[in-house]
Order: sequence, then structure tokens, then C-alpha cells
Amino acid sequence: MERFFCSDFFYHFRHAPVAIVSFVTIILIILAAIFANFIAPTNPFDPASLNLMNGFTPPLEANEFTGERFLLGTDDQGRDLFSTILYGLRISLFVGLMAVLLAMVMGVLLGLIAGFLGGWIDSVIMRFADIQMTFPSILVAMLIYGVARGILPPEVRYEMSIVVLIISIGLSEWVPFARTVRGSTLVEKEKEYVTAAKMIGLTRQQIMLRHILPNVLSPVLVIATITFALAIIAEATLSFLGVGVPSTKPSLGTLIRIGQDFLFSGEWWILLFPAVTLLALALSINLFGDWLRDILNPKLK
Amino acid sequence: MIEPLLEIKNLSVSLKKRDNISVAVDDLSLNLYPGEILGLVGESGAGKSMTGSAILGLIESPLYISAGTISLQGRSIIEAPENIRGSQISMIFQDPLVSLNPLKTIGEQLIKTIKTHFNISKAEALDRSKKLLSDVGIDPERIEAYPHTFSGGMRQRVVIALALAPEPSVIIADEPTTALDVSVQAQILNLLKQLCTERGTSIILITHDMGVISETTDRVAVLYSGRLVEIGKTSDVLQRPQHPYTAGLVASTPNIDPSSFDKKLFQIPGAMPDIDDVPDGCAFHPRCEHARDKCQKHRPPLFDARVSCWLSEKPGGTL
Amino acid sequence: MSFVTVNQLTRLFDLSEPWIVRTITGQKKRILTAVDCVNFQIEKGETYALVGESGSGKSTIAKMVAGLLMPTSGSVIIDNKNFNDANLEKASMNALRRKTQMVFQSPYASLNPRWKIRNIINEPIKAFGLIKDENDQHKRVIELLEQVGLSERDIKKYPHEFSGGQRQRISIARALASEPEIIICDEPTSALDVSVQAQVLNLLKDLQKNFSLTYLFISHDLAVISTMANNIGVLKEGVLVEQATPNDLFHKPQHDYTKMLLAAAPTLQNN
Repeated sequence: MERFFCSDFFYHFRHAPVAIVSFVTIILIILAAIFANFIAPTNPFDPASLNLMNGFTPPLEANEFTGERFLLGTDDQGRDLFSTILYGLRISLFVGLMAVLLAMVMGVLLGLIAGFLGGWIDSVIMRFADIQMTFPSILVAMLIYGVARGILPPEVRYEMSIVVLIISIGLSEWVPFARTVRGSTLVEKEKEYVTAAKMIGLTRQQIMLRHILPNVLSPVLVIATITFALAIIAEATLSFLGVGVPSTKPSLGTLIRIGQDFLFSGEWWILLFPAVTLLALALSINLFGDWLRDILNPKLK
Repeated sequence: MIEPLLEIKNLSVSLKKRDNISVAVDDLSLNLYPGEILGLVGESGAGKSMTGSAILGLIESPLYISAGTISLQGRSIIEAPENIRGSQISMIFQDPLVSLNPLKTIGEQLIKTIKTHFNISKAEALDRSKKLLSDVGIDPERIEAYPHTFSGGMRQRVVIALALAPEPSVIIADEPTTALDVSVQAQILNLLKQLCTERGTSIILITHDMGVISETTDRVAVLYSGRLVEIGKTSDVLQRPQHPYTAGLVASTPNIDPSSFDKKLFQIPGAMPDIDDVPDGCAFHPRCEHARDKCQKHRPPLFDARVSCWLSEKPGGTL
Repeated sequence: MSFVTVNQLTRLFDLSEPWIVRTITGQKKRILTAVDCVNFQIEKGETYALVGESGSGKSTIAKMVAGLLMPTSGSVIIDNKNFNDANLEKASMNALRRKTQMVFQSPYASLNPRWKIRNIINEPIKAFGLIKDENDQHKRVIELLEQVGLSERDIKKYPHEFSGGQRQRISIARALASEPEIIICDEPTSALDVSVQAQVLNLLKDLQKNFSLTYLFISHDLAVISTMANNIGVLKEGVLVEQATPNDLFHKPQHDYTKMLLAAAPTLQNN
């Protein structure tokens, strides 16, 4: 642990304002989401606590009917926007994280296999990758989502919607991982330490997992960071389009959709605050990922 | 007394790290005379490539020239190296694959180089290019060919032709034959020697190969830990080395000698110190069997314009 | 019966374009004969050197002797066993792998940068099941390191903490870990400085004496070979053009190519 704080990496971090600000922002948002139930003044997912009369209250003003004040105002159903954003962040972050993990595991394994085994396996995997990349990932996610909804019986659709969301976003983002890992694998497999491993009779799986995998992981962290941001935005987009999380447990995307409906009738806060939160989160992750990529660049080794 | 063409005086190149400064080239002085091939020999990390880069003005942050002067024909070149780099001093690097632009024919690259330095018509530049190609042993009719159609040795010849195009007074060749086969290496080294005699171009040949030094250079400078330890006529230095390190290098170089089969090669114990770990006094003393007290405390100056070793302190000091 | 017999060893590589491209453009198939009917033998405890320039086939032969590449025709027989033998049972194949090890040219690429030295050297011991008890394994790793001139302090370090010469020593220690009988040295010192090269070559000589090792030594450097080899084979474009003892080869070369190589080699002219 002490070694980390003395390391070159931490030194560069301390001297890069962008990295510090974006990292702190991400941490604050994550902490706010984790401790939402302590910070939020109300629980927006509990239908019993909602009072429709509270709807459309502007920020910090007293509601004309109930007299309650809300930090960021309320939405159309009377939910406190601040609380809803915090709880909604939980969903966004959870879906984003799980989707990235799925994409990462799938992409890294496929990339390793394609790069190491080569031949027709490589061709098949890469053609799938190419074909998938020609479609915008949102369309791919919607396609998978639609297929899943068609397959699943209606009773489980509601609980499974988050799982389906994770799978559809995850499956749409595996390609950059696979391509990068495949490229690194192609380079590593020619190196003599792999030959040495073959000479002691290790199987192909053993060589791939024990020897090559540790050496191809460094770009994966950067891709994972950027994909995390993409996954969060993908979830927001799907929810915005109405095919994401159900509207009783709104995520940031759902709130933005609701807000958009009421923007021109004057209830600007319903759109603005969730959008700004989403922007801050995605931007911070992207900036941090960019900085990470520059720092981890092998040229600096 | 011939005036030196290139004069390096007390050159130091330093590396700025997080919390300290290390020295890659330490107070180096040497001269290059017209029409000679000077070898810069040393092991990895000795500072020979760094010296070449310093002359060419290619030192970049976090490295920097911390002391000393470099002058070409009496005029200092440290401040504005771009003026002379490529025109009066040109260079040849180790890997011909990456020295040539793969998207342009060798003719285009030659003509562009010539026209950058001389105000002549394209037709005249083309003529000169063809002559350059035949000077380096390439069929001038191949002027329209792309670099990838040439073999490694031929590519290196093209690189030499490009280096000659501006008619420089000095060429710096950094390990020009290390990546080539032995037979090709011999041809390229002969070509360099021939060009030196015919055109009077001086060459600084940087290498770690003692055999190459022996066969190609007129004088040789031996570097260790960024310092000059011995300099002189090649035959003198290699056959009667005065510095224990030079003697060790010569002794550990294998020769084509079948009788050496049962014997072990001479080996210098230990290894050249890291750039951060250079010992006080003479940098070589921990590995030297002749080391005395003085060697541990004080760095020896250059005696006799020949060797930097306390053992040579007496006039005519020998081992 | 020699310890290693290489018999009519041949290896072809098919460099042709895919069938579809050839049908459209009318190109012919392009087959490269990397190794062409090479014959030689190595006696136990001796060093056989293969010298040649790039494209001579020496690396391809090294791979075939190591069992990493199968010959197109001909055979490599080590201690009466053949890697290519379809009937060879798993146990014998394993034993053959254990006996045949390799030291590579690049000190940087021959050790996994993410593995500690202890694990790199221990890997063959575990893979061949030579020592089961972990403590004994640990002791053996230290023993091997000391045999190559390194020490116990080095076991927890990573490869990048060592110099080129030290990394080559670690490679040699790894090769010794499986208690081999033949080690194929593929240009083991070509990437090293002269003084480090002398240390590594001396180490190889000592180990050969102490453990009765047989070496197949590949190099392009005639001077290095003259100090290491009992027998030398000169390769040109896949063909073994001359084979002789060092004395004969260097003093009375027969083939023009050998003479050319000797003339071209830069030597320190010593009086």
C-alpha cells in the first residue's frame, strides 16, 4: 500500500488536476448513491410516501398545496427530485458496472482465444465482431432487449428487466475489449517465454490463462473505464426511450424523459438536474479514463 | 597541427528524474579530425549513443545538456542544432526499415533531401541522386523503387546515400551494421571506409563490437559509465591498451581460435554500474584488479591525451 | 549410437496466397524450403554448433530439435526417442520434453514480465512433477539460482529488475530446472555486451562439465562458436554445406561459403 503512494503512478496523479477533480467527482457520486438511504430526505420508490399534490413543485419553493419544500423540486408524481436522483444513480451505476464486467469478461476471453488459437476460430470471432460493430450499440442493445422480452413469460418480465438490461448492454460492448486483447495476444504469443512454456508441455489453456492473460490486461483497465461511461449512458438512453427500467423505479434516463415532456411548460428542473448529474458522471469517467490511458501508455515505462 | 573539425569540450548530459539528477555523459571531451573515422566504443549504457544524439541536437526532455560545448569548424552548434543537422552533420541509424519512408520511392526521398539543401533544378537533383546511388553500389535504374523492395543491406546503402546527399562534413553512424548479416556488414563497412577516403567525410562510428572497430576505424574512443577512459589510434589502443577496462574488453572478445575451446574466456567481474549508482572516484575501480586508494576517491583526468587512469600518472605509465 | 541424430531433416513452408487469390490472379504456389535434407549427429556431452546467416534455416532446425515444430520429412532422434513418433506414449513424450530444453536469444522476451523469478524457475519443476513438497521446491530454486551465479535475494524480484546478462542466467537456471540432458542454445549471447557475453559463455562451459550436458549451439558469430563447439555445421539457405571440427573448419575451410564467412567476420587483429 505504501509502495503505491510512492509510485510513479500516484506522483503523476497528484500533479494532474484533471485526474484529481474527475476522480473525486466519481467517488462523491458513487458514495452518494451507496448511502442514498441516509442522505435522501425521502424514499421515492415507496408509493405510499408519495403525494401527488406535491407534483411540479419548483426547487426550494414551498408547494402551494402542502407547503413542503424540496431541494431540487419534484417531478410529475410528487417525488422529491433530489432523492430520486440519488436512488436512480444506484440503478445507473449498478447496471453500468455489471454490464462492463460482462463485456470485459466476454471480450477478454474471446480476444485471447481468437489471438492465441488463430485460424478459423479467429476469423469467426472477428467477423462477429465486425458485424456487430456496424450497428450502433444502442440498436444492438434494443434488439437483444426485444428478443429477451419476447422470450420471457410476462410474470418475470418485471424483475428480470434489470438483468435483461445488463445483458443487452454488456453484449453490445464486448468488441473493443476483444480486439485490443487479441492484438496484444498476437504480439505476446511470439515471445520466447511462451515458447519456454510450450517446452515444458503446458496445455494451450494453461499458457493462455497463466502466461498471456496477465500481460494483455493493462489496456483493459482503460477500456473498462470508458466503457463504464458508455454503459451508463446506454442505460439512460434505453430508459429514455422507454425500454429500460420500469418507470416506478426511475433511473436518470427515465427522469430525463419525464423532464423532456414538461420542459416547455415551464417545469425545467425535472429535466435539468438529472441531465446535469448524468453529464457530470459520464464526463468525469471519460476524463479519468483518458488520463489513465495517457499515463499507462507503454512509452512512459 | 591540424584543426579539429568537430570539438566536444566537457560535455555533460543529465537526466532529470523525480527527485534527483543522474548523469548519462560525464564531462566528455574529444575531437574529430577531417577525413578520419573515429570509433566510439562501449557497452550498453556507456553513453555512446547519447553522445551521438547530443552532437545532432536530438536530446529531449527529461534529458538535457547540462554542461560543455560542441563546435563544428570553430562555431558552437549546441544552441541551434537544426541548422547543421542534416546538412553539415548527417546520421545513419541502426534499423534501415524505420529510417526510410515506406510510402515514397527512394528517388523521391533523395531528390527531396537534395533540393532542401541545394538550390538546383529537379533534373539536376535527379542526376545527382542517380550518381549517389551508384556511389553506394546500387543500380541507378532502381531509383523508382520503394524501400520495401530492397534487402536489409541494400536499404542501409540507401540510407547512406541519403546521408551523403547534403554533402556533409561529418556523418554519425550509430550501430549501422548491427542488424545486418555478417557478409553484408563487411560490405557496408568497406563502403563507409571508401567514402571517407574518396570524399574526405569524417565519420563517427558508434558500436559495441570490437571487431568492427578494429577493422574500420582510424582512432577509437572507449567510453565507460558516460566517461571517456581511453582514446587513441585504433591499433595502439587495441593492441597496447593502457586502461584496465579496455584491456578487459579486448581480452574478453572471442577470436576465431579453435585452440580456445578448452579454455575459459577472460571475464571482467561484475557489471557496468547503473546511471544512478556510479561510484566515487574512478567509475571502474570496483571491478579493477589494479585499483588503489586514490582510485576510490578521485576521478582521474586524461593523461597524455590518451588514458584516464591513475596507473598512467607517471610519464609513460603502462600496465 | 549418437545421443542426437538428425536424419534427412527437411521442412517446407507454404507461403502461397489463399486458393481464391491464386485462381483469380493466376499466381503459382510458393513453397519455401527452409531446411533441406540436413544430417548431423551430436555425441553425449558435446557441443554441436550450427552457424549461418539469416534465412539459413538454423532457427527452424533448432525448433525441430526442440520438438516445437514437426519436420516435413526426415527425423530428429534424441536418446532413441522421436517427438514426431505417433506411437510414443504420454509418459515417454513427457520424459523427452523434460530432457530437451532451450535457452533463447532475447533476454527481454524470454522471461514472463509478470511472474516472479521464483515462479519462473519453479514452473518446470512443478510441470514435470520433479519435486512435490513446496519447501523442497523452494530449496531447489535457490540451488539453481546459485548455480548460475545469482542468489536467494533474487527470488522475489521481477525480470525487469535485472540486467540482460542476469536475465540470461535466469533463463539458463530455468532450463536446468527440468534436469535436462540436452540444451538448445539459440543465439544465447547475441544480444549481450562483450564482457557479459564472456561471463555467460563461461557459465555454459562450466555447466556442461558439471552436469554432462549436450548442447546444440546456434549462432551467427564464428568467434563465439570457435570457443564453444566440438563440431560445427555451416548452413546456407537450408543446406548444410560444410561440417568439420573447429580446427579443420577455420584452418582448412572447404566450401566457398565458409571461406566467405571467415573472410567477412570482423576480427580483432591481435599480434
